[in-house]
Amino acid sequence: MNLSACEPVMDRYFALLDSQLSDLSEARRQDFLRELRAHVMDRLEQMTAPSEVDCRNVLKALGTPDEIARTYRMEMILRSSSWSLSPLAVLRTTLRWTVAGIQGYAVFVVALVGYLIAASFYICALLKVFFPKNVGFYISEAGPNLAQFPVQHGVEYLAPYFIPIAILVGYLSTFGTTLLIRFLMRHFSRLRKKI
Amino acid sequence: MSLLSKTPKPDSTEKWEAQLRKGCLDLAILASLWETRLYGLEILRVLEQNSRLVVAEGTVYPILSRLKEEGLLQSEWVEAEGGHPRKYYWLTAAGRLKIVSMAHFWNSFAANLNLLLEPVLNGKERS
Repeated sequence: MNLSACEPVMDRYFALLDSQLSDLSEARRQDFLRELRAHVMDRLEQMTAPSEVDCRNVLKALGTPDEIARTYRMEMILRSSSWSLSPLAVLRTTLRWTVAGIQGYAVFVVALVGYLIAASFYICALLKVFFPKNVGFYISEAGPNLAQFPVQHGVEYLAPYFIPIAILVGYLSTFGTTLLIRFLMRHFSRLRKKI
Repeated sequence: MSLLSKTPKPDSTEKWEAQLRKGCLDLAILASLWETRLYGLEILRVLEQNSRLVVAEGTVYPILSRLKEEGLLQSEWVEAEGGHPRKYYWLTAAGRLKIVSMAHFWNSFAANLNLLLEPVLNGKERS
């Protein structure tokens, strides 16, 4: 079958869909695009000599790349990373949730704040090596403090154990945030199913 | 009372219908695979014949992916003679159990709702 009239339109469509699904794993994305291509080929094969207009109509019936990518996200949003412990995967998923409304946005903010707290402890542990006099766990009249330049006020506590403790607290914050997000995701998905 | 007497927006019925269709898609897709394995377009054809469920054809594929992830479906690429390969889907044992329980639920749900709607439909005929 001669598809020369259709190829430019199809290529444009699938390039757009490909870019819309760029955050999926390569294998999953290729499999999904291959399946949709097979669908379009099947539809065009029913026609004797499909023109560019026929091709556009077939793609129109399929839906816009944006529409398909959005549906794919909504369908797979929980599956792709609800079991992943990687903060990046969790953040990416929760970022997608922001389009799903205020609940999704709240989950994203919780994830972001949790991971930022964790990151600040890791950074403190690292900085303690280079600035032992400025970074540590200090308590002064102004309250507890982790780092201050040019000079730290107050009394330092836990000085020899600061680095392992900061790493541990950072790790616990990361892990705790991930567990919390996973819980919230499942909770909200149940809500969504009920609606 | 003022809330109740407000005329609905013209697109609200359409929206409700779209949501209802979307909610039934899982059921319809799983049911279409009861007897045999099918590829995406064949599933769509079955749905087109029996209902007006699908609005955008492409949205069926993400649902198939999810149902597979949930362990209700299994899939395989099959080379066709003289054609291109197609991805076939079939029900897993878990999928069979699921569609049976969904079908039972649907049956009693629809029967109860029909009872509720009977006077509404009769009233419409009278007036």
